Amino acid sequence: MEIIAGIVNYLVFFGITAGTYGVLSLGLNLQWGQTGLFNIGVAGFYAVGAYTAALISGPPPDAWDGRLVGGLELPFLIGLLAAALVAGIVAVLIGLPTLRLRSDYLAIATIGIAETIRLILKNESWLTNGVWGLQQIPSPLYASIHGWATRLVDAHPDLPVWVQRLVGKAYNGFYLLLVVGVLVLLYLLTTRLVKSPWGRVLRAIREDESVVAMSGKNVFFYRMQALVLGAMIMGIGGALYAHYARFISPNSFEPLYGTFLVWVMLILGGTGSNRGAILGAFVVWGIWAGTDFVAAYLPFSAPQIAALRIIIIGILLEVVILLKPNGLLPERRR
Amino acid sequence: MDVLSRIPQLLTYGLISGCILSLGGIGVSLTYSILGFSNFAHGDFMALGAYIALALLPAIAWLGIPAASLGPLSFGWDWILAVLLAAMLSSACVVLLDRLLFRQLRSAHRITLMISTVGVALALRNLIQFIWGPQPQTYASAIQKAIRIERLGIRIKPDQIFIILVALTLATALHLFLRYTKIGKAMRATSDNPSLARVCGIKTERVILWTWIIGASLATVAGALAGIENKFITPELGWQMLLSIFAAVILGGIGNPYGAIVGGLVVGISEEVSTAFISTGYKPAVAFVILILMLLIRPTGLLGRKS
Amino acid sequence: MSRLTASGLVSGYEDMMILHGVSVIVEDGEIVTIIGPNGAGKSTLMKTLFGLLPAIEGSIRFGDLDTTALPPDRLVRLGFAYVPQVANVFPSLTVRENLELGGFVLRENLSRRFDRVFDLFPALRTRKRTRVGNMSGGERQMVAMGRALMLDPRLLMLDEPTAALAPNLAAEIFEQIMAINERGISVLIVEQNAKESLRLSDRGYVLAGGCNRFDGAGMELLENEDIGKLYLGG
Repeated sequence: MEIIAGIVNYLVFFGITAGTYGVLSLGLNLQWGQTGLFNIGVAGFYAVGAYTAALISGPPPDAWDGRLVGGLELPFLIGLLAAALVAGIVAVLIGLPTLRLRSDYLAIATIGIAETIRLILKNESWLTNGVWGLQQIPSPLYASIHGWATRLVDAHPDLPVWVQRLVGKAYNGFYLLLVVGVLVLLYLLTTRLVKSPWGRVLRAIREDESVVAMSGKNVFFYRMQALVLGAMIMGIGGALYAHYARFISPNSFEPLYGTFLVWVMLILGGTGSNRGAILGAFVVWGIWAGTDFVAAYLPFSAPQIAALRIIIIGILLEVVILLKPNGLLPERRR
Repeated sequence: MDVLSRIPQLLTYGLISGCILSLGGIGVSLTYSILGFSNFAHGDFMALGAYIALALLPAIAWLGIPAASLGPLSFGWDWILAVLLAAMLSSACVVLLDRLLFRQLRSAHRITLMISTVGVALALRNLIQFIWGPQPQTYASAIQKAIRIERLGIRIKPDQIFIILVALTLATALHLFLRYTKIGKAMRATSDNPSLARVCGIKTERVILWTWIIGASLATVAGALAGIENKFITPELGWQMLLSIFAAVILGGIGNPYGAIVGGLVVGISEEVSTAFISTGYKPAVAFVILILMLLIRPTGLLGRKS
Repeated sequence: MSRLTASGLVSGYEDMMILHGVSVIVEDGEIVTIIGPNGAGKSTLMKTLFGLLPAIEGSIRFGDLDTTALPPDRLVRLGFAYVPQVANVFPSLTVRENLELGGFVLRENLSRRFDRVFDLFPALRTRKRTRVGNMSGGERQMVAMGRALMLDPRLLMLDEPTAALAPNLAAEIFEQIMAINERGISVLIVEQNAKESLRLSDRGYVLAGGCNRFDGAGMELLENEDIGKLYLGG
């Protein structure tokens, strides 16, 4: 039973991470899957969301901090909305010069913005505490839920160990519900958008923008809306991550974790399909986590194992592109 | 020291790193003009070449070629030979990659190809890390005395003069190749009008083969020269330069190899000179700012044609 | 002997066939014009004949060789030359380089061939080093035809050679086509507004909806009232 409790606790942890990736993947699906916007700077919007949430809801700087400002200690929901808002503003800024141009330029510009954001996070210590990152970001309702769980275990010392273990991680269970709730809401929202006339225009732009332009619609404006909305969803993903991890630093948003995995998730799941985006997030995170278990048995050094795992994901991407380009749950053509 | 008196020295450093960016940019530009997609793995081709050269050094020593430094340079004939062989080997690797992957996707959408290059970039960089480890490695550790040129107010090392000369030679060689050889003309023709090139009996696959060979060879030289200039190589070597290289290529007009050379020099110099005015922590963002400015003002690039 | 015999060609793009069984014959030394309205399949026919599109059904013979499935680079070597309607030059290359690429598959010295092309198009001789992108439409058409002639072809296919040219320039191009034909080169022309072209042709074909509609001697088609009304603008 204790092993099962351990597995359940692990699955809860797994679900939180994969669910957070699911949010990012949904955001990317709106940009790339629906509209054909080639954003390879997902990590940038993700980071902006996480830092915004941390600065809005986190504690003010203390004596050890390099920060001078920030930490407004506002409620979780306000931080979440602010994260979406700021990520959206960054998207407007990056979209203005690039959305009229070929997709190559947007791609390069998004790599650039992701790197620049990382540089700002590293260098502007007065706001971000530099490479040391932001700590003690509060998890919503942590005190009450974790307090309740602790009191429960204390009051009933005769409970079996496995129950104690499960209850001890009750907060993770709550957070999983929170992440899944946000994910479901975003799924319903994006699916509704995709089915609306607005979504049809986005897909028409993806297929052949000249037709859309000829029908008198402002392609640039539609693209901007998709870019901004996708970025806002990614910002929410960042906020969810920050409040769970409770500690973020510029290294949390390397292109590998922040961008590349999300792309593999969306492509494997099914570009253009919201259900595919979410499925892909769980499958790819499963593979990624699975390689961690397997790698422990291989006769390689830690850096070699880290490299090997990424090589596997890279090869997985190429295999999917070659053999199953429409993914596991292909978009249904309407 | 006041800001202005540092400028000549920064211009010199900029020229040197610009030469390296130019050599990298030529490959990106050629790939774009012939194959029609942006290759985000090109930086990692540079790292691959630099590491293959490193791996060849012991083999070359074993053959009995002395590792003695060439005159005032920090490296010898063995290094030069290693880089030449590495250019061939990395070309072979890249051609193999083309056969396995990119060739299967010739008729796929450009963006599919670009995504696959992102995958290649990551896999290749980590393959390098898997084989050679993440820690920095050096070709040679000889310490060099910089030459002072008082009249210009600069100091420059013999290695750095070598880098400039190599870039100059290769750029000239590329020009002669494109202008006067049959395959060079076929490349320009294919880039200009691929279907007409086929009508003329030019085999597109042969042109593509040469594009990869030239791109990978110049990338190898660029990576190895970066190793000389920085004194070490890491698996991240190329990825770290990728944004600058793309800024250079777009600045010069994407698809135009001559533009890539000009763009490389401008970006290299701008990055170095910027350190006189802003924190060096933001040096990598300078390329990004140039890129955005260029996209706003003249998206076809300095030497680009209207399309 | 027939220079080119295409029979029953079915061809088009992945999910849309454009030709539904087209047959065309060009005898040695003839000028043949294919006319027809927009969308009749004229350009598709040219591309199929030249191996740029696969023939799903039907066969193509060049002289006594079956060339149905041959790629363009093989056809070029056999003496088959093709000048597309648009994008028929390399704009960033010079006139000389364009011609040189016409002779790309040859391993010999090209100077005699250059001379022959410059004899036909004297206007090009003085502009060898000019970038074709900087030249006028008429000059570009000359470069395009000159490029195709570098291989001394036995058949020259021209896709709308005078489209978008002023009438006096078009007349000049037609004169040059006659001159080319006098050297023993068969010519197959596709034209949309084709009176001039039919006048100098030995024979003509009318295509519509991807099928043969009429064929006959050039003058005969020109004088046929139905064809005049339907396809030659009255």
